[in-house]
Amino acid sequence: MSKTEKILWGIALVGFLVGIAGLIQRFTGGHTVAAYGTYVPWGLWVAVYTTLVGISIGSFLIAALGEGLRIRALQPLTRIALLTAFAALAGGLLAIWLDLGHPLRFWKLFLSTSPTSIMGWMAWLYTLYGALLLVLIYLKWARPASPVLPPLFALGLALAVIFGGAEGALFGVVSAQALWESALVPIRFLMEGAVSGIATVLFLAVLLGHLNSESGRFLRWMLLGLLLAVVVLEWSEYSTTIYAGVPARVESMRLVLFGPFWWVFWIFQIGLGLAVPILLLALVGERTVWLGVAGGLIAFSSLSAKLNLVIPALVVPELDGLQMAFTGPGLSFDYFPTLSEWLLAVWIVSVAALIFLAAHRLLPAERARPA
Amino acid sequence: MAQETQTRIRAMATRRAFLARFASGIFASLIAPAVASDVLDQVEAASPERPGIDLAPLPELPEGLNGQHPIERMIKDLRRALQKPVDQRRWAMVIDLRKCVGCYACTVACIAENKLPPGMAYRPVITETRGTYPNISRRFIPRPCMQCENPPCVPVCPVRATWKRPDGIIVINYDQCIGCRYCITACPYAARSFDSGYFYSDFEGGSPQPYELLPSPEYGEGRVRRRDASPVGNVRKCHFCLHRIERGELPACVLSCMGRATYFGDLNDPQSLVSELASRPNAIRLKEEMGTEPKVFYLV
Repeated sequence: MSKTEKILWGIALVGFLVGIAGLIQRFTGGHTVAAYGTYVPWGLWVAVYTTLVGISIGSFLIAALGEGLRIRALQPLTRIALLTAFAALAGGLLAIWLDLGHPLRFWKLFLSTSPTSIMGWMAWLYTLYGALLLVLIYLKWARPASPVLPPLFALGLALAVIFGGAEGALFGVVSAQALWESALVPIRFLMEGAVSGIATVLFLAVLLGHLNSESGRFLRWMLLGLLLAVVVLEWSEYSTTIYAGVPARVESMRLVLFGPFWWVFWIFQIGLGLAVPILLLALVGERTVWLGVAGGLIAFSSLSAKLNLVIPALVVPELDGLQMAFTGPGLSFDYFPTLSEWLLAVWIVSVAALIFLAAHRLLPAERARPA
Repeated sequence: MAQETQTRIRAMATRRAFLARFASGIFASLIAPAVASDVLDQVEAASPERPGIDLAPLPELPEGLNGQHPIERMIKDLRRALQKPVDQRRWAMVIDLRKCVGCYACTVACIAENKLPPGMAYRPVITETRGTYPNISRRFIPRPCMQCENPPCVPVCPVRATWKRPDGIIVINYDQCIGCRYCITACPYAARSFDSGYFYSDFEGGSPQPYELLPSPEYGEGRVRRRDASPVGNVRKCHFCLHRIERGELPACVLSCMGRATYFGDLNDPQSLVSELASRPNAIRLKEEMGTEPKVFYLV
């Protein structure tokens, strides 16, 4: 085990142990330990879920483009990308499972699926995607020359695009939330997911020594292109919304840009998640270490974009005056995650990290050829 | 002189009659909720599935200012509707904002009726203030569930735990709901609540008080609230006191309204009071542009 790997294990284990406190509080206190409630029904855990699912989609894109579309530069990263995709999916589903009011009724999603609900469809798509990941992992390690691998990867690519977009559509179809209701939201989810997943694989590949120079070059320009596309999408969304001036949408945007959590947008989402990585990739991206830094920054700040989508839409009252109409626990339009929510989020991410690290130990990926 | 005295006596008699009638109207309005609920609680009315069963006699209410007392008329409307097949009823509510004084009696009555936990009100009253002091005006807007004809909360539910009944009321199956809260985000009126599991005793220390362990009559299920069972962890909402309607009783908020600002009945019955009121030109609905077709009308 390399020194880097030991450090990663240490961080993940500390996160796991610290986060257990959040897990215990979740099970003993139910949802009273969380700051979300009636007016802001979704909070940090939903943002973590969407972030991790996005990372899974992006990671899988690397494997699918390499094996399904035969992009040679990405093929050395197939294995690490598959493991990342699986670990991130497991973490994301764990987050949303713990967010349910009745987690033990999750099976109803399969036995009583509503065909009109995107969330109902998502349950099946996740199952299909998760099963496909397991099959691909098995085949890639046990029968790497299997002829069914390329078509399965191509199928996975289509599936990832479909459910990556559907994940955004889950928000985009909610006309009651002005900030969400936008045709751009599914596309943003797909693009942001692709960026965060590719960045995570890049970061891990650099840390664990799986990145060769050809893959690095390809990922550098691919990531740079996707980041610029995200800039265009976000500019398009924000500028048209503000100019159009629909009150509820503008209020949500105002909160994102200048509200009490302005720093989440300007420092994390724009600064560390877009501007700095773009500069690093464009200016010093030929050096592996800076590629890793850029990937790490994007991966760690990817939660901010999801927080800025999920929360600001919900903190704007549907009807003026509702915030004072009746008060009590859960009836607040202000939301900031409680310590329990943060701890459980840390635990979930740590579990995902441990799944990845354990899989990485058990199923070793190719190491980069020395230059 | 005698003629003048007789005229004065007649005038006094007329005034007395007017005052008596006026006072009885006010008195009736004030006591009607108590009287009606007391009487109505004893009513074993026909359920929609059992039409034709004899209903208890209507409560004796004094005549209203404009003839029949509105409570009496609404009960008659309701019971007439119950004789029809369920899919021919269209329950609706009309709230006269000019009469609402912001007393919150409806909010409290709803909480008491449905045994709601802290932080949950199916019918909050929004206070809207306009202008700047001293040129200021206020109005009060009670907000029950709109029981939309096109409810956005229903199709998003991933497990079919919420649906529109044939009579138009949107209901939730607590045993089916997984608590994902997607429906809460989809409601443009914020009319759905999440039962996080709070008890009043959480804020006072100790175990739940006896009044917190009373069974809720919601959906006729008589659930006793516990931390580890539904409806804790579920989404909940106003259902127009469906359990009362099916007993031939008016919703708790309607009976408790001391300003007689809330009306309830069958929109499919042109003779009903709500039908008459909802067709007035000053009747509006909230967020018409959403296309939800609410069945709660506001008179402005």
